[in-house]
Amino acid sequence: MTSKHTRQVSGLSIGRRQLLTGVAAAGAAASTGLTGAFAQSAKTGTVRVWGEPGPYGGVAVAAMNEWAQKNAPGLKFEIESIPWDGVYVKLMTDLAAKRPPSLISVESPIAMQLMAEGLLTPVDDLVDKIGRNRLVDGVKWEYWGAWKGKQYIVPAHHQPHLLLVRMDIAKELGLKDPDTWDWNDLLNAAKTITQKKPDMAGMCMALGRNLCTDYHFAALLHSAGGKMFDAANKFEVAFDSPQTVEALTFVKELQPYMPKGAVEYSFLQVVDAHVTGRTAMSFYWGRTLGRAAEEAKPVFEATEAFNHAAHPTTKRRSNWNDFQGWCIPAQNNPFIDEVRQALVYQQTSKDWLIKYCHSLMPNVAPTYKDVADAPELKEHAFYKSKPRTVDTYFKTSLANSSSTANELLQGVNPLAGIVHGRSVLAQTVQKVVIDNMKPQDAAKWGAKELSDIRRENMRLLG
Amino acid sequence: MQPSGATDVRVQMRPGYTLSDRAVGLLFIAPFVTAALFFMVYPIAEAVRMAFYSYNPLRPELSSFVGIANFEFIFRDPLFWDSLRQATIWTFLSIVFQTVFGVGIALLLHQALPGIAIFRGLLLFPYIVPTVVIALIWRWIFNPEIGVVNYALQSVGLIGEPIYWLSTPSMAMASTIMLNVWKYTPFVVICVLARLQTVPLELYDAAKVDGAGIVRRFLDVTLPQLKEVLIVVIVFRTIWTFNKFEEIYLLTKGGPGTSTFNLAVYSFEQSIANLRLGVGAATGVVMMVMLSLGSIIYLRVSGFGEDEKAS
Repeated sequence: MTSKHTRQVSGLSIGRRQLLTGVAAAGAAASTGLTGAFAQSAKTGTVRVWGEPGPYGGVAVAAMNEWAQKNAPGLKFEIESIPWDGVYVKLMTDLAAKRPPSLISVESPIAMQLMAEGLLTPVDDLVDKIGRNRLVDGVKWEYWGAWKGKQYIVPAHHQPHLLLVRMDIAKELGLKDPDTWDWNDLLNAAKTITQKKPDMAGMCMALGRNLCTDYHFAALLHSAGGKMFDAANKFEVAFDSPQTVEALTFVKELQPYMPKGAVEYSFLQVVDAHVTGRTAMSFYWGRTLGRAAEEAKPVFEATEAFNHAAHPTTKRRSNWNDFQGWCIPAQNNPFIDEVRQALVYQQTSKDWLIKYCHSLMPNVAPTYKDVADAPELKEHAFYKSKPRTVDTYFKTSLANSSSTANELLQGVNPLAGIVHGRSVLAQTVQKVVIDNMKPQDAAKWGAKELSDIRRENMRLLG
Repeated sequence: MQPSGATDVRVQMRPGYTLSDRAVGLLFIAPFVTAALFFMVYPIAEAVRMAFYSYNPLRPELSSFVGIANFEFIFRDPLFWDSLRQATIWTFLSIVFQTVFGVGIALLLHQALPGIAIFRGLLLFPYIVPTVVIALIWRWIFNPEIGVVNYALQSVGLIGEPIYWLSTPSMAMASTIMLNVWKYTPFVVICVLARLQTVPLELYDAAKVDGAGIVRRFLDVTLPQLKEVLIVVIVFRTIWTFNKFEEIYLLTKGGPGTSTFNLAVYSFEQSIANLRLGVGAATGVVMMVMLSLGSIIYLRVSGFGEDEKAS
């Protein structure tokens, strides 16, 4: 997905190398006043930085290298992209082998597991330097990762998955405004499209045994008012519930209107299905639009994003929002001081943060008000052509934010990373869609797996 | 140099310093023994030790002795038994097809035809290409929408709808078996072909004189001659296939669901995804015991080496 060498930045198609060079130059001016405050470092070597696939990690590292040029000339920050489905295994094996990267940008469930394990460096002092009052409305610092009164994660971005709809198809078939849909409307729309549009699925979400399915299903679970654990009750398992059964039943009802291969789909395949026109609707983050803009202009132009269809009774429209942040491994990390300084440098540069968001619109949403409200942020072709969609990703979706690491925003959950490492939610879904298990039985199976996780990891709960 | 005799061969390193045959033998074998101890014996011993411990790689300081709890865990886990059953199916069918195709192709390549050496060389292709490359290529080949397999089958009218090779449990298992058969049949061919080239032609001439047809000659001459090599090949292929991880993991990750889990994938999932290294190690120990016992029983039942003992 990230192999493409061109990105849409401010409406211009430019090469990644050009982008990073340009970004470096743009950030240099903004940084001039900041560099003097940092101590010089005489260390030499390569500072390994992990990020998810996408150009934005490279932009962040370009900012850090700019800091290094002035404050640690012997250091070079290098980004290593880790595929989503491999991040847990890669992270755990490298930590176990005592060779972690010096800085990690990772999804909040995994970050919070590392945080509760005591493997990360607290960053409260960095938050003070970055600005405690800068966060956009509707979020709190703890959404990215705080534990026992300490902040461990610095925000990189927030990234909700939403309902992507091909509006040309919706209009052609006379479907009503997706912004008004509830689950029944979504189901009916998927059915109508499947029946009336040959060679096109009505709906697509991941159903494979992977992280993407975990996230997609979690949003439905939270919309129904269900959750995996009860944060208010010592994280007792709450998964064996009517809400879980309802969410599983809904997935089962949607399945006939999805591509047949959806049972093995993960992130990439869902994007592929939408961009290649094999589905008219999908659950996905903003990346699909970025990819469509590069490869399938008509699909890009016809696609809009909406907050998810509301649950008929709870009226929730929960998304799974990746409050992705930067975390600094505390052990076997020779560059902690340098990484902390470089991170503050990058986080306090509005220009760099805008470039970060621009590098793959509208996939990574700004976390600070000054960035989100900056006129420069809106100087992008996507913002101009699809202001409502971009604003939905960046702003209005926040009211529906949820996450497995902070279910229904009721409390940080350090067990979620382990849940995803074991693909418990995805396996539960697969019990229903592949093994034809009753949703009630699948919910019981999932609850037992979650109980095992809780029992084995009580130490994380303090 | 001292004169060497049949019972007392001595090597003179320099004047006044000699080594006995035994010492020279030990010297030569020392590098291998050292490497084997370090890379084979130690990991196995460590795996056996870890099978009795609870060990989270993120928190090694919390490691503790748990007795046979890891074994109790896996024997209670339905997924372990599913994985064992699927591993048995995957191994059995892979070996059957590899052996049948391997012997058949070896017989074809045993013909003295012009250019046959080229075919013999090409045959090695699947065996020498890295598994990761093959698995990724096969993922494309099996792609239901744009894969060449469905395209070919639809083109000749064998199927009307695309087959979801990796998305349905039964087809996913069949696909992993196909990949394994395709990749490792050349190994069987090489072994069988090498043996075929040493079968005395007089045996076939005598059988012809006795009126044996082509089938009878195959059953009464070729097959008995291949028996020993096939026993060895089947034992090796069974061990290697039963332990196979990368092909299944790269092609299906054990899915859809857990329908293509074998014990190696199960062990990996327990160790890395679930961070239960002790359980993963216990699975490895169980696999080792099963394969050791199976191999011994098979070799005994098949009568491997009895001819040599008799002579």
